[in-house]
Amino acid sequence: MLSRIADSLYWLARYIERAEETARILDVNYHMMLEQSYQSSRLRWDPLVAMAGEEQRFRQFYSEATSRTVFEFLAFRSDNPSSVLQCVSKARENARTIRDRISREMWEDINGLFHSVFRYNPQQEIAAGPHRFCETVRFGSHRFHGVAEATLPHDEGWQFLRIGWFLERAETTARLVDVQYQNLLEASEEMDGADSHLWMAVLKSVGAYEIYRRQYHSPIEPEKVAELLILHPQFPRSIRFSVTEVQSALREISGSLAGTYANEAERLSGKVLESLRYDKIEDIFDRGLRSHLSSLLKMCRAIGEDIARTYFDYVVVA
Amino acid sequence: MSVLPAGVREPGLFENYDLGKFYDEMFSAPGVPRPHYAKIFRTLAATATGEFEERRQLADLSFLLQGITFTVYNDGRGTERLFPFDLIPRVIPHSEWDRIERGLTQRVVALNLFLKDVYGPQRILKDRRISRSLIYSCKHFRREMIGIEVPRGIYTHISGIDLVRDSKTGEFLVLEDNVRTPSGISYVLENRLVMTRTFPDAFQAYEVLPVNHYPAELAEILRSLSPRGEDNAQIVLLTPGIYNSAYFEHCFLAQQMGVELVEGRDLIVDGGIVYMKTIHGLQRVDVIYRRVDDEYLDPPAFEPSSLLGVPGLMGAYRAGNVALANAIGNGVADDKAIYSCVPTFIRYYLGEEPILQNVKTYGCSRPQDLAEVLDRLPELVVKSVGESRGYGMLIGPTASQERIREMRQRIKSDPRNYIAQPVIGLSRVPSYHASAGRMAGRHVDLRPYCLYNGDKVIIVPGGLTRVALQPDSLVVNSSQGGGSKDTWVLRGEN
Repeated sequence: MLSRIADSLYWLARYIERAEETARILDVNYHMMLEQSYQSSRLRWDPLVAMAGEEQRFRQFYSEATSRTVFEFLAFRSDNPSSVLQCVSKARENARTIRDRISREMWEDINGLFHSVFRYNPQQEIAAGPHRFCETVRFGSHRFHGVAEATLPHDEGWQFLRIGWFLERAETTARLVDVQYQNLLEASEEMDGADSHLWMAVLKSVGAYEIYRRQYHSPIEPEKVAELLILHPQFPRSIRFSVTEVQSALREISGSLAGTYANEAERLSGKVLESLRYDKIEDIFDRGLRSHLSSLLKMCRAIGEDIARTYFDYVVVA
Repeated sequence: MSVLPAGVREPGLFENYDLGKFYDEMFSAPGVPRPHYAKIFRTLAATATGEFEERRQLADLSFLLQGITFTVYNDGRGTERLFPFDLIPRVIPHSEWDRIERGLTQRVVALNLFLKDVYGPQRILKDRRISRSLIYSCKHFRREMIGIEVPRGIYTHISGIDLVRDSKTGEFLVLEDNVRTPSGISYVLENRLVMTRTFPDAFQAYEVLPVNHYPAELAEILRSLSPRGEDNAQIVLLTPGIYNSAYFEHCFLAQQMGVELVEGRDLIVDGGIVYMKTIHGLQRVDVIYRRVDDEYLDPPAFEPSSLLGVPGLMGAYRAGNVALANAIGNGVADDKAIYSCVPTFIRYYLGEEPILQNVKTYGCSRPQDLAEVLDRLPELVVKSVGESRGYGMLIGPTASQERIREMRQRIKSDPRNYIAQPVIGLSRVPSYHASAGRMAGRHVDLRPYCLYNGDKVIIVPGGLTRVALQPDSLVVNSSQGGGSKDTWVLRGEN
């Protein structure tokens, strides 16, 4: 497989995943905030911008973070490289450079998603609320997973797609827990006590609410939410699940056996997984949730960089 | 279904259809279809405009969703556009196609022999059938190619020969040869696919010869060129990348042939061997179907500023370690000033009379021709010899005084760079005129795609029918607002 193609598959998956995560977070939070009781609260919209890592850019365009400005910024702005439209557009651009290597169905699917999100009129959608738009993106991403799974040979190219999807997902979940934890702890101090509705919104934004209910049979507690999102072995958006997928895809490509590693990316993913598998949530809170999450994020970035060094941009000694 | 008051007939698609002064591919006289068009005409005449419009939109949507687009550059940044598709097919009865096929075969073989000669022993120059200065002044003549033995002696693996039907005589004429990197075949295959989905009923009434074996035939030719033998052939298609106007086609062909689509940056030459950069290291490449022009192929050898090519490729080619299709230097054979010599090639190399005639052409480098061209400029079509795709062209009868004056100056200052031809009244095919909701005659040409494997010429029946969708326009190039039609060659006569 050409390095350039592996590179494009990896980014195609990352951009699709990023578009979906942004749409999910936007949708759930927007609707939660609509409920009267929270409008007066200290809850703010800026954490959503923080999750996308675009606070600085946001301040160049807007003086205040409101439902409308945040929606416009995260969904539509062409000068925000992380906006949903830009992610979908870049995903399609990557697909276009390798359209001979992905299945015709995959290309038509991503091309169709591109045309349908760009058909939306931003001002109309901002007035109507994000649900319709976000659904399109979420369904689009799910459909893309399904089409890829069912039409692409599960060879090395498929493994690079998996790495892109799950590395992006691990990072997003880590940022989500980090930012929301801060945000909600501060808010609940002000409102005298934790509010389960807020935590419910966090769970819903990653589709984990029903799983939480079945798993814990208890009121929603912040520590358990963190446990589910970070350590759950089977929940497909937990950090542990995502990194397990990344490691497995990396091993499929290199042929490394369990307990060994062929490159730095495999070594790091193994190291991260060791802690995710054998730590308890109490251990993580004892050491400090924030520092734990930020070191996780650093590791994920290092894994991404080493994949590029190993497979995409290696130096050829001619 | 439209509801009309009793007694009011819905206007048919052919209401007020005007044959004009041109050869109409569908009608021999007003309201009288030619035998091979009779069934289509009956079906269409019974189709309500609304239903036709529905099918048309279905076809357009299918092209959009598949991303079958080309890129135009007149706005400076490149915009993706749909290549307009017209649903009325261009139908050719078998006997007529048979003659075209024989004519094309003869022409392609002669062009290949000419290239082999001009980069080899140069017999035709020594025998003074063609002047040395004409050859050596061609923009795309490549001295670097002299004396190089190309794999299996094939230069023109893929040719696109543009034909037009002259309304005066009803005969097909060759308008131009394209033996460098002709494009458009993907539209032939996609048009057919969309057409079978949109008008399945029309296909049932005819026996239309299939076209979809093209990629397999091409792949087989490419495989036969491999310096390491066919079994080990690693074939790639080299594209300039996603900003190239034919990028869709490059992807399409690579996918259909099952070969790797590469860009210049994926390839590297080491020790005279071409490799591609894969996730598991370097892998040797044997055959390159290149869709990058000669001058960009090997930056140090040709155009140093090119980012599209592969440094060292020319060396690997010369050493016989990699095969290229088409060969380098083919531009000398499709130069517009050489065009008028092709009948000479056919007589000289094959000892045969040309089956398909050329359009009468004035070469401005010949003094007597130049005088006549300058004199009759308002009634001629002038083409710049090095250009293609309709750029740098003047159509005398429709051009402004000022443009004619300007062209006269340009011809005088560089006569070798121009040829002129009488305006050919291209034949027309009924095409859907959307804003009027009915059919109107539109001019067409025909580009068949010819594959040459060294022994025989393989031509997929038909080719790309390009149509000038603007009323009265004679320019069919996609970059100039043209569209296309599905082309049907029938197994029999109707």
